[in-house]
This record gives sequence, C-alpha cells and structure tokens, in this order.
Amino acid sequence: MREKENNESFSLEKMEQETDEMLRIRYLNRSNAKFEATNTGFLSLRVGEEYYPRVAVVRMFPFLHKDELISIRTTDERSKEIGIIEKFSDVDEETVKLLQDQLTLRYFTPIITRIHQIKDEYGYAYWTVDTDHGPCRFTIQMGGNGIVHLSDTRILIIDIDENRFEIPDIDRLTMKERKKLDLFL
Amino acid sequence: MKLLNLTQEEEIYYCLPLDIDRNGDFVQNSYTVMTNRRILTLEEGKIGQSFLLSEIQAVKSEPQIACGIVYVVAEGKEILLGRFSAKHLTRYSYLFRGLEILKQGRKEHVVSNEYERSCPKCKRALPGTRECPRCSGKKEGIAYVFVNMLMPHKHRLFVIAVLMFLATFVTLANPAIQRYLVDEVLIPGVNDWGKAGMCLFLMLLMTSGIVFVNAAKSYLCSKLGAYISEDQREKLFRKIQSLSLSFINERSPGELMNRITRDTERIKDFFGDVFCNLFTVVILFVCVCAFMLILNWKLAILAFVFAPFSVALSMGWRKQIKKRFHLQGAKSDKMNNNLQDVISGMSVVKSYGQEKRESEHFDETAEEFAKIQKSNEVFFAVFYPILNFALSVGTYLVIYVGGKNVLVGNMTPGELLQFVNYTSMLYMYINWISGMPRALMNLVTSLERIGDVLNQDPSILDGPGAVDHEIVGEVVFDRASFGYKSYQPVLEDVNLTVHPGEMIGLVGASGTGKSTLINLIMHLYEVDDGAIYIDGVDIRNIRLENYHSQIGVVLQENFLFAGTIFNNIRFAKPDATYEEVIRVAKMANAHDFICKLPDGYNTYVGEKGYSLSGGERQRIAIARAMLTNPRLLILDEATASLDTESEYLIQRALGRLTKGRTTFAIAHRLSTLKDADRLVVIDGHRIAEVGSHEELLAKKGIYYGLVQAQMQTSAPKEA
Repeated sequence: MREKENNESFSLEKMEQETDEMLRIRYLNRSNAKFEATNTGFLSLRVGEEYYPRVAVVRMFPFLHKDELISIRTTDERSKEIGIIEKFSDVDEETVKLLQDQLTLRYFTPIITRIHQIKDEYGYAYWTVDTDHGPCRFTIQMGGNGIVHLSDTRILIIDIDENRFEIPDIDRLTMKERKKLDLFL
Repeated sequence: MKLLNLTQEEEIYYCLPLDIDRNGDFVQNSYTVMTNRRILTLEEGKIGQSFLLSEIQAVKSEPQIACGIVYVVAEGKEILLGRFSAKHLTRYSYLFRGLEILKQGRKEHVVSNEYERSCPKCKRALPGTRECPRCSGKKEGIAYVFVNMLMPHKHRLFVIAVLMFLATFVTLANPAIQRYLVDEVLIPGVNDWGKAGMCLFLMLLMTSGIVFVNAAKSYLCSKLGAYISEDQREKLFRKIQSLSLSFINERSPGELMNRITRDTERIKDFFGDVFCNLFTVVILFVCVCAFMLILNWKLAILAFVFAPFSVALSMGWRKQIKKRFHLQGAKSDKMNNNLQDVISGMSVVKSYGQEKRESEHFDETAEEFAKIQKSNEVFFAVFYPILNFALSVGTYLVIYVGGKNVLVGNMTPGELLQFVNYTSMLYMYINWISGMPRALMNLVTSLERIGDVLNQDPSILDGPGAVDHEIVGEVVFDRASFGYKSYQPVLEDVNLTVHPGEMIGLVGASGTGKSTLINLIMHLYEVDDGAIYIDGVDIRNIRLENYHSQIGVVLQENFLFAGTIFNNIRFAKPDATYEEVIRVAKMANAHDFICKLPDGYNTYVGEKGYSLSGGERQRIAIARAMLTNPRLLILDEATASLDTESEYLIQRALGRLTKGRTTFAIAHRLSTLKDADRLVVIDGHRIAEVGSHEELLAKKGIYYGLVQAQMQTSAPKEA
C-alpha cells in the first residue's frame, strides 16, 4: 500500500529521512521495477516492497528527449518521485509499450502536417490545419505568447485555450504555407 | 434520448465533450454525461462506461499537459473515463461539485462563472469580455452606449457639426469656382480683371479658410475625445474600486490597467482621427458622386470603374505594410527584451563571466532588427510613389477621355478641371473609407471591454437593510463554507465563537485556508454557505464602509502608497491631527526611527521614494492600524521575515495594539502566538483543533506536531 502520511507526529529523523530520499536518484530498470497496466486505464508499479496502484509518467525534457529520462511519480498532490527511467532500453519491450501509452495519455501536442489557412482578424489569428491526429481549427492571440520558438526551425503554438501544436521543422513547409506563417516568425 | 436508456425520472444534468480519444485523435460525438442517477460516457455515439452515482465516491478531472483526463473513483479504484482538450479543462473541474450536490439529492445545477474564450456563435475569440463584440446581437446596444457617451457634450457636438458642414461646403465649392474662372473669365480677349481678381480672392479665401476650419474641427474633436475618455476612465476606476476582490483577482492588474488606459485612449483616438472626418467624408463622398454624375455621367462611370481597383490596391498596400512593420515591431521587442534581461541580470552575467557571450547574442538580435528595418525602409521608399501613381491611374484616364471631349467640344475646359478635381477627391475618400471597418471594429471592441467592466454588478453590496453597527468584538462563524471558485471549497463548515477582546491565533500549513478565513472576516468575500455574525448581526447586514472603518489590518508585506510617511500613517483617517499621528507612531515604536530620517515624517516613501526596511514598513503599518482605534484587528504574518531586534520591537508594538481588541493573527512562527488566548488549527479545509497553547500541547495532536517540528529545526546546533 501507498505509505500513509501521518501528520500527527513529526520527528526530526523522519524529516531527515525524507530529505535524504528526495536527494537520492533511483534508476528504475527491468530488474527492480515491475510495471503493470491496471484494467482501469492506468499504470501500477511495484518496486521492491513498495506498491503504487497508480503512477504518473513524466518527461523531464519533453521537448528534447521524448523517450529518455522519464520520471515516475506518485499521483497525489506531493507528486513524489519514485524513480527515473534513464532510457527505454533499460526495461522490457512490454513495459515500454505501457509507458508510451501513459505518455500519450499525458502529453497532447498534435503535430501540424499542413496549414490550410491562417486568417488574422482584430488581434487574433484563426488557423485551419491538418495534424497527425486529424484536422483541426484553433485560435491564437497575436502579439501574445502564442508562438514559442523551441529552436530556429521548430515552433510550438499555444492557442487561447492553452492547447499546444507543434511544427517540427518550418523549413519543410511549402512556400505557400511558409508565407502564411511568416507573420508569426 | 433512447440512446442513453434513461429510466423514468432520470434527467440529464451535465454533458461535457470528450473531444480527443485515448490516442489523442480528435473525435466527435463523444461525451461525459451525468444524470441524477448515473455517470456515463458516450463514445462516438455509443455508450461506453456507465456507473451509478451511488457506487462511485468521486469524479475527478486532472489537468495533463495541454489536455485533461476525467476519472471516477469507485471502491478505492481510479477508473479512467476519457480525455479532453485544454479547452474544456475549467468546465470539467465543476463536475466534481455537481456530483456532490446530486449525491446529496439536491437539484440545483452548478454553473460556471468563468468567461468563454471564444464566441459560441461565430467562433471568434473574445477579447476578454462576456459578450462577443461582433454578434452580441445588441448592436443597438453599442450605438446606445456611444450616444450616451456623447450626450453630456451636446454643445460641443453642435459646434463640430457646424464646422463639418462648413468644411463640406467649402470643399465642394472650390472646384466650382475654378470652373467659373476657367470658363467664364480666362477667355482670350476678355480682360475682365475685376472678375478674375474676385475669383482668385474667393479661392484664396476658401483655401485658407478650410485650413482654419479643419484645424478648429480637429482641435474640437480631439478635445471631445479627451473629455469622453476622461469620463470613461473615471467611471471605470470608480467601478473597479466598487467591485469585489474576486473580480479583480480573476484579472491581472495589467489587464485592468489596459482597460482604464489603453481602451479609453483608443476612444480618444477614434474621435481625433476618425470621428472628426467621418461625416464630412461621407457627405462629401455622396455629393462628389452626385456632382460627377450630373456633370458628365459617362465620364463619371469611367471614374467609378477604377474605384474598386483603387480600394483593392490600397487595402493590399496597408496589409503589406502592417505585416512588414509588425515583423519589425516583433524584432524590436525581442531586442528590447534581450537588453532588459541582460541589464537587470547584470550581476549574474558578470559574476559568471559571460559578458562576451551575451554581447554576441545581442549583436545577433540587433543585426536581425537592422536588416528588417532597412528592408522596410527601402520597400516604403520604392513602392509608396508607385502606389500613389497607380492610385491615380483613374484620374489620368479621366483626363485623357475628358480632354478628348473638350477638344471635340462636348465639354468646356472648366468642367473638365472641376471634374478632375472631384475625381481625385473621390479616390482620396475611397481610400479613407476603406480603412473604416477596422477603425470601427477597434472602437466597438474597446467599448465592449469597457462596458464589460461597467456592467458588472459588485457581488458584495450593501443590502437594503444594511445598518451602521458599532462593533463590540464578538465574532461567530456559523457553518461557514467558502471557495474562491465554487467547485473548490477552501473552508468547509467552520464553526467558531470568538469573544470580545480575545486574541485568536490561526495555525496550519500553508494553503489550508488561514488567509481565506481572514478575508471572510474582513468581508472582502462572502460565504457561500452559512453565516458570520458580528455581535449577533449578520456581517452582510452591516454597511460595508462603516464596517471597514472599524477594522485594522497589518499584513506581512505592507503596501505603502507613494507619498510621505505622515500621509501613509493617516491613510485610514485623513483628518488625523499631528498629535494623533505622533502618538500612534510612538505606540508602534516607529516614532524614533522616523525622527532619525533626514526628512522626518515628510520622508517620501513608495516605489520611487526612500526605501524602508521590512521592519520599518511594518511599524508604519501598525501605526496606521492603530490610528482608527479599530475594534477588530487582523494580523497576517505580521512578524515573519524580520530580524530579531525589530521583531522584538514589533512584538511590543503589537502587544499594545492588540490589547482589549478582538484579534485574529496568523503566524508561521508559533512563538509569536504565545500571547494568543486561543489557537485555532486549520487542517483539511476545516477547524481541526481549538484551545490554548497548553491545552493543545497536552492533546498531542496537529499543533503538538507543529511545535515539535519547529523546535527541532530552529534550535541551534550543539557543538
């Protein structure tokens, strides 16, 4: 069972122990961690004596390393780190699938594959695009923080609802699309 | 709804879209549905999962990265229901509350008060308003607002209207006189010097007259704009002050400032740039068209044919220019931000020896900016004359065809001159009018944003039966519940009776609702459920101004307004005498340090003024609180982050302040609460423990734990 916090008795040893635990980097791999899908859509984890009925799978470098340095955390408010998966080759293929599944569930950033139209009207830009998850329309605010340059050629677009869209390489757009986008670069 | 297999008396309460699926693909026709009996999901039009409300403990939505998931908790298990995009995050967060209410068998609906981000009708983004400026369906509403704005300035409007007609008349008459001059006077052989002189004089008079008329008109319109925007600014400020804190906290200070400064500025600009020419241009436009048709309808149609071309050209030009200069602006912003970043972080840059790298980085952005700037200048210099030429192509054509007419004798030279004059006017006005929709839309948006604030009703108002009440000091919480957002309770079912003169220490981890409790006592927010009584009178029935004049507040970060120390102390009582101010300053242990300042009580403090230390500001705030002799006193972390000496002084000052007054004090450092009569421990949105220091220690509960933890971490290490 998840360890139960008891507020009633604070003790110095316990605080120190927790701090030490926080400082420690624990790598998870096929020998010490057992991930298992719950039949309710989530992922459970057993590490040695500890058992977590549901864990959060978090990317430490969501833009740079999508499949490396994955932090496994508790899902409560404290979001304590249980361990780190350094790279997917450290765990079984079956586990990789489970982890990927949780990552898909957590991160939602459709990749724009085609720009049909960008209409700019009174301070807002209305986009009509195709993404790898289907066609989509969204709105961004002009002059705000709607466009984030992840690198010279890679941009992240954040719409007024805080949805995210990515264009991985603007050099690969067609001339026509590029022209529509120029206003934002 | 056969699809849902609704049983009898089952009613749909909430229905929220699940617009992306497990893999993140966009899907239609998928929803989370909550009825008064069940919660279920529809997946592409078919029932997915279904639970009876009685078998689940909670329904939760959890924000993910740019999306969210919703799950139910049943038998201690979390069961995923579905996934939605960030658009629906706020909506889903209300579902939890909806379930709570339905489970209790109550029938009311939870309604979100948050603003939509885009208009449900036209899908356009909303500029931070509730109504869509485009299709709010109350266009007459905007017109009404506009007329209302103008009404107090009727006399000015009248003068402006007279000037407008004068300008119109003169502009139209000038070409007619020119024609007369050419056709009737400048005839070879007729040496009518008198008539010629008369015409020239009239033309001179009109040309110089129109300069004065236009100048006067612009002056008056700008003045009118300034008056109107001042009216709006004052109204907005008064309104924002009267609105409850919740309205202000939901918006950033920057946004509210924008509404007071920028939106009203836009209204002023509209009057100065657009309004003053609006009617003149429209009347002129119509008259010019009519005159042209009368003079020579064939030629007129030829001129009109080129009008759409001219409009398209000038709109295209404007778009291009906007795009180019937008880009230049963006680069300039980037450069400025970079500069600001480095200059404010100079000590870090220097101490890590990164000057060279930062210089290079700056060079890059500066170069980018220069490149764009150069290209834009060249663009403008080359294409602007070309555009002007292209715009007047119609005029050349008119001259060509008209000239032929003159040669044949169908038209007099004077008529041609008049006609050509009108043609160039026509193109000028067309150009101007094509910019109108944008100017109007800007105005409507600004009016809408201002109206949005002005039409807000303050959520905390003096009720009809509100009375003045002299506070004795008893405060009673009766089943009080409150949340800043109705779906997220911060305090639940708080019951507490505080006797007059008692000092209550509020203890608990951060985020448990201590400050919220204090906000409720200050009546900055109103309880959602239950009530607060002051000496047996419901707090809602005491006149706000009267109530606030009787409470004193000392916070952790005390805000000093720009002004002298003297004025800051007597902020709550502007008519306080010197003696009163000095007395409270002495009581607050502030008098001595104030006297040591070179400018004494006249020392200017605030953002640009003399910087006082935290302890000094604190003592000024205590003096300020003492001045009104408040019956209720609120201390929120009044002694945190102070050095030991000033803490001692402040403790002494506070001791004097709290004597005989009902006091609520929050402190993280528990030692500062040793004078409290009773301590209230707040945990998990509720009052967990109440009692004196000794009682709570003996109880060995939460408070005991907190004291233990603080003693062990703050005790000096023994060598």
